[in-house]
Amino acid sequence: MTFSLTMSTADLLLLLPEIILTCWICLVLIVDFSFPRLPKEQLAYLSIAGLAATLGSLAWFDYSGITGTLFADMFVVDRMALFFKMFIVAATILVILASIDFVHRFTFFRGEYYFLVTMSALGMMFMASANDLLSVFVTLEFSTFGFYVLVSYLREDMASNEAGLKFFILGVFAAGLLAYGISLVYGETGKLVFSDMKAVQATPGLIIGFLLIFGALGFKIGAVPFHSWIPDTYHGSPTPVTAFLSIAPKGAAFAILLRMFFVALATFKPTWVLLLVAASVLSMTYGNIVAIAQRNIKRLLAYSGIAQIGNVLIGLAAGTKMGNDAILFYLLTYLFANLGAFAIVIAVSEAIGSEEIDDYSGLGRRSPFLAFSMLIFLLSLAGVPPLAGFIGKLYIFVAAIKEGLYTLITVGLINIVISMYYYLIVVKKMYISEPHDPSPLTVSGPMKAVVYAGLAGTLIIGIYPQPVIDWVVAATMAFSNLAAPTAALPVTPTSIPF
Amino acid sequence: MSEYALLYILFAPFVGALALIFVSNRQAMLVRSIAAGSAFVSLMVSLYLFYAYDPVKGGFQFVQKYEWSRQLGISLHLGVDGIGTPLVLASSILLFAGIFVSWHIKDRTKEFYIWLLILAAATIGVFMSLDLFFLYFFYEMSVIPMYLLLGMWGSHTKKYLEMTDPEGLKLRDSVGFIFNFGSNSKEYAAMKLVLFLSAFAVVALMGILLIYKYTGLNTFDILQLREHGKLLNIPVLGTTLDKIIWILIFFGFASIAPLWPLHSWSPVGHAAAPAATSMLHAGVLMKLGHFSIIRVAYEIMPDTTRELMPMAAVLCMFSIIYGGFVAYYAKDTKYVIGYSSSSHMGYVFLGMAALDYISLSGAVIYMFAHAMATGMLFAMAGWVYDQTHTRDIPSLGGLSNRMPFIAGCFVIGCMASIGMPGTVNFIAEVMIIVGSWNKYPLQVIVAVVGIVITLAYLFRMMRGLFYGPMDQKYSHSHDAVAVVDRLPLLIMITVSIGFGLFPMHLYNVVRSGVDPLVAKITHVVPVASGGRETLGVKREALENGTLSSPLSLAGDVSRITYHPSRGEQ
Repeated sequence: MTFSLTMSTADLLLLLPEIILTCWICLVLIVDFSFPRLPKEQLAYLSIAGLAATLGSLAWFDYSGITGTLFADMFVVDRMALFFKMFIVAATILVILASIDFVHRFTFFRGEYYFLVTMSALGMMFMASANDLLSVFVTLEFSTFGFYVLVSYLREDMASNEAGLKFFILGVFAAGLLAYGISLVYGETGKLVFSDMKAVQATPGLIIGFLLIFGALGFKIGAVPFHSWIPDTYHGSPTPVTAFLSIAPKGAAFAILLRMFFVALATFKPTWVLLLVAASVLSMTYGNIVAIAQRNIKRLLAYSGIAQIGNVLIGLAAGTKMGNDAILFYLLTYLFANLGAFAIVIAVSEAIGSEEIDDYSGLGRRSPFLAFSMLIFLLSLAGVPPLAGFIGKLYIFVAAIKEGLYTLITVGLINIVISMYYYLIVVKKMYISEPHDPSPLTVSGPMKAVVYAGLAGTLIIGIYPQPVIDWVVAATMAFSNLAAPTAALPVTPTSIPF
Repeated sequence: MSEYALLYILFAPFVGALALIFVSNRQAMLVRSIAAGSAFVSLMVSLYLFYAYDPVKGGFQFVQKYEWSRQLGISLHLGVDGIGTPLVLASSILLFAGIFVSWHIKDRTKEFYIWLLILAAATIGVFMSLDLFFLYFFYEMSVIPMYLLLGMWGSHTKKYLEMTDPEGLKLRDSVGFIFNFGSNSKEYAAMKLVLFLSAFAVVALMGILLIYKYTGLNTFDILQLREHGKLLNIPVLGTTLDKIIWILIFFGFASIAPLWPLHSWSPVGHAAAPAATSMLHAGVLMKLGHFSIIRVAYEIMPDTTRELMPMAAVLCMFSIIYGGFVAYYAKDTKYVIGYSSSSHMGYVFLGMAALDYISLSGAVIYMFAHAMATGMLFAMAGWVYDQTHTRDIPSLGGLSNRMPFIAGCFVIGCMASIGMPGTVNFIAEVMIIVGSWNKYPLQVIVAVVGIVITLAYLFRMMRGLFYGPMDQKYSHSHDAVAVVDRLPLLIMITVSIGFGLFPMHLYNVVRSGVDPLVAKITHVVPVASGGRETLGVKREALENGTLSSPLSLAGDVSRITYHPSRGEQ
């Protein structure tokens, strides 16, 4: 295997968004060092400007259809990669906006916070483009590196330190699994690029190797049984970092999962469907049932996130183009609802200094805006029409029913009802319980912007999803060579697998 | 204008709710006016729709279709037939009345009206959806406003106050809360309602998804599924697939109806809800179940319906008798009316199960009639509760001296609910009984016994509330004097008696929707002498006095005609 590293200008163009962001990150760092008296929120706006420029260049790529591959297919820019990059950058912008109020809690390195967040985003952008196992490993570690620091950013807080340690040890363990899996796969096949693996034979080494890689990616997305770090890490991390952790790495990891299952392992679909069905059923059921018992809103959202990932895995298990579209769509709805919910958690925690669900009592009287927004976000997560989450769930179910995944859909539908219960407990606190302290709450400007963005996304996608559906369908055209949805008829009992 | 009538009806409450977001809670009068104004638009257009609907032409009219998602095969396809039209009218009447019934709500008025408008608009949306997706969309959308309305403006029931843990603090937030069956708190009622309805809604959604898959048409459009969808009898799990789908659809939607073993959320919810919510809940929300069964199961799976619908005929007996007896022994006014509603919904199931032209028409008219009658009763129970702060029947009494208007209206409401001649309920009940007699004589006997039980508990409640000695602590209670307080009752009484005396248009409209449906299910076409002429003949006969009432026609089955071409238009 030879790498030709001769790059033309046209090749460099494909890297343009990453190059813009890299330069900008350095600029942010330089400004932070050079002007120590500069208010730190100016750095936030500076970072956002860079991210917006990146987003603009990505949108331009997507609009004008610039695609291609670099470094002997290691780095691929297709429309799905562009989708996930935009997803990550948009999430980062919202997270930075939501951080502005929070940063004063950090005792040191307030400026570097923005640097680290943006750097993780850069790593995840490379993840979205990773097309072989080596670049998967490198980009995944690159993005996780920033998170190790960010999770333990509240240095005085024991919970944050604990969260950081837990995340670090388990994260490094996952990295070890990933490296071992990659070495097994390479040893068995002699190939690293996903698209070269189409014709490989299933050998025990290869199967174990891919299982290990799936384990490492399952750790990233927090699917059961690789979820054990999630509750404590989410609970202990600074809340904006939790918000970031709960959405962006999952998007990036799904980009890799899609490439791995749909390109490299497309021929083994009947086998990996079983794996994904098991992971999905466990994630949904475990996440939702344990969420019922939570008293802390961040832990509740952590467990609900595990359950949501179970839902996304239904789309992966469907293994069709439509399932792929549904995953992208679902993640987008999850982005708005979940980031919005975390923004409310930050705003309430700034105002009353608590993250316990019990302290949300009477939020409907203290701040109708926050309570109403939280209601919308939670109901979207639960999947209630006319909100985006409902369309996302339906899209996933439609994709799955076409493949006949009846068990999975049944479990998913039951879980909607279970999740309704704990989301409504929060709604009950906010609207029905009387406040402990009736003083009204104030919300800062940047926080309002995040909440409005979340509301707009949740409501607009929920009421008229067609443009977004068109977008995700176009984004996954690269996978159109997959098996078309099976014809509905005739169906015999033996062809109903689950 | 006229082709957009459905959009006006559906979106006027939504627009009203949206406008209310930007109004301050302090401007209470403006809040009420916006709510009443948007409901008025809906009501007027619904009235227009009802009278502009052409029963001779039949079929789906005022159809609107906008593509919503190409890939998923969803379009916003709206249209009403003879079954949907009266129910849309009933919803908008109850919404308009409900806004006046809750005129005196002080706490968070704005939010109350927002959720009430969304609730009503969602139910209206179900009645005009011709797309399975949007049917489910609006159906599920109506559930969450119920939670907030019950939780925020509801009230605890009496038994709740006698509990050892009156605030329910110990169990309120834990997992045990949901299994705390002794709890009569409004939180419990709201949570039970939402979880129950959502749980059965996803059962129905499973059925809808299976229809979507096995028809293979890649569409949720009911009309296309009806015309081209063929669910083969694929053997699955010891039975056939169409039966499984039918059962999922039937029980999924029957829970909101509520059919007997699935009814327990309903009276608890009624008791906890504020008056206007109870009205909409009993008046139209419960009919979503029957309507959705008709729209999905009857339209798309007529043959399976014919095979399996006798199941409903068995269960409806339990509904009628069980609901009636519990209502007789209940002490709480709203429990009485709530259980009476769940008992009366059994009549609708009987009418639907008989699959007969007369009985199914009777069932649809009964839904409309029951909406008016139960709306009146809940409005007045709410008034009495506001004045006396209790719903405990034994402790009340003699209120007719203090509130003669309410007492008078209550008598009319009870009469309507029992089915006195002169109210539209009478027509509906007789049609159900006459139409079902050939097929289900036992059930008809049960239904007649049910009417007697209804008489017993309603008279008992009427006497308990308004006659006999009055406790002096209620001597400060007031009658409904202001126009806004009397208006809703007068509207519902007018509609109930008006259609009771002049039912022909209602009957024609309903028949035009029922005829093609029953013909498709039973393949029985009584006498094919040309439907168009017959409707005209009936109308002439009625005007000339040779036909005293439509009921004389109803009894004479041989004269009921069906023109096959009408349904297919």
